[in-house]
Amino acid sequence: MVVAGRRKSIAFFIALGAGLISVILLLYIGWVLLNWRSGILLFLGILLLAMIIAGVVLNTTFLVREIRRNEQHDAFINAVTHELKTPVAAIRLYLETLQTRAVDEPKRKEFYRIMLDESDRLLTTIEQVLRTGRLGAASRRPNLAPIDLGGVVTECMARARTLYNIRPESLEYRPGPPVAILGDMDEVRAAISNLIENAVKYSGSDIKVTVDTALVDGKYVSLRVSDQGAGIPSNELKRIFKRFYRAPGSLATRVKGIGLGLYIVRSVAKRHGGRAWAESEGPGRGSTFVLQLPIAK
Amino acid sequence: MSRVLVVEDEQHLAEGLRFNLEAEGYQVHLVETGEAALELLMSDAQAFDVVILDVMLPGKDGFAVISELRQAGKFIPTLMLTARGHPEDVLKGFAAGADDYLTKPFDLSILIARLGGLLRRHEWLRASLNHENTVAAPPKPKETFTFGDKSVHFDLLELRVREQTFPLTLMEANVLRYLIEHEGKPVSRKMMLEQVWGLHEDTDTRAIDNFIVRLRRYIEDDPTRPRHLLTVRGLGYRFVASPAKAG
Repeated sequence: MVVAGRRKSIAFFIALGAGLISVILLLYIGWVLLNWRSGILLFLGILLLAMIIAGVVLNTTFLVREIRRNEQHDAFINAVTHELKTPVAAIRLYLETLQTRAVDEPKRKEFYRIMLDESDRLLTTIEQVLRTGRLGAASRRPNLAPIDLGGVVTECMARARTLYNIRPESLEYRPGPPVAILGDMDEVRAAISNLIENAVKYSGSDIKVTVDTALVDGKYVSLRVSDQGAGIPSNELKRIFKRFYRAPGSLATRVKGIGLGLYIVRSVAKRHGGRAWAESEGPGRGSTFVLQLPIAK
Repeated sequence: MSRVLVVEDEQHLAEGLRFNLEAEGYQVHLVETGEAALELLMSDAQAFDVVILDVMLPGKDGFAVISELRQAGKFIPTLMLTARGHPEDVLKGFAAGADDYLTKPFDLSILIARLGGLLRRHEWLRASLNHENTVAAPPKPKETFTFGDKSVHFDLLELRVREQTFPLTLMEANVLRYLIEHEGKPVSRKMMLEQVWGLHEDTDTRAIDNFIVRLRRYIEDDPTRPRHLLTVRGLGYRFVASPAKAG
């Protein structure tokens, strides 16, 4: 996946470099043969200069892109390390405490609850990473079957409510007409879960999330998840769907994550012949994420 | 009762640490951000005896917090706690001024032992300083050591080179003191770990090299060609107070 993409772009740039060099050689030989005609000489000189400039620009673009990708990769490794080790550290700490100290009954219950929470968190991270791997594998086709979209949404919302301990009125569902889509149950569920959990995570303390579904052109169904949270600057709207990408700023360090959730959403949408995008009026004004999937015929 | 400041944004970990440290008889104060920790420590460094500092914090990270503290001359013993266990991360922690470093997930008993070790060394240093001050009115020559145009003031945690003054961290001072006490003799890394840090594990002894690099930066005219702090290949280091004049 990553490697294949990199190999392709490397091959392209090597071919481009080779092409540029051969053109320059050709021009040079041409110059030697034709140096008595100054008009042609001037033309060739300009052409050559343009070639060199184009080459430098392309080279720099490539380099910058590679460096950025590398940085993102490092940030991802750091985030995954943190998200894998922290829950283990917490679970271990509480287990050791229970093993070595006298703990009264209510405390003991609380410790068990914390350990369960942390193991859920660990499992979520592991699932996201594994799912990304599976989505990237081209050989794996989605396992298509008719799905009742409303049922999946209700299920995902119930999960988010227990996981983040939110009141029912903070997370509202306004169902549209009942529709069935043709999809891979596991993937669709993961995508919808990611959208709902993101909305909750980035809402801060005052959670107000609405989910609604509507038909579009009689061919698609669009699922909209809206929050009143942090909002997204317009230049980030597209980037946040990239693999490993996390929006910069204090928010990303405050909200834990590894930069795979929206990538999974977009990949699932693509694999089902749909699309996913984000809308926001700007920072501080909430955001809406839309997942559009084709209806089963 | 020793007072511990725990800087950790993971609530569950922080609460778990609080429970255990209180059970050990410490007085515990929790903060979630580096900024909050700096505010507390900058205004009153005496309020705490030891700090447990997480690296990945929202806003200012642990490395930034510790180096700001050290630059401001606050030498409170600090143990860094982090999920990042690469050698370069550990070295970065020590370079920033940490006294000890532990990676997550950690062993509870090891954490408590290390915390105890830090406090103990701090106590010893304080006791020896008090002792110097009460028994002999003028500080014993042992508390300052002069070589060439440089002098180390262990009581002030300072190193003076000609007109310049460099603040030393507690561990830097301890390393330097140990080397000076064994002046002229080679000292192995393992010996230093045992005597200065009180560690008897097979820890990566390279962490010491980092202290030496920093000390060389202070006391050597040309840190790449040291004359006082010499490397003894395959073993450790040797301190020479008055090197023979090189040509």
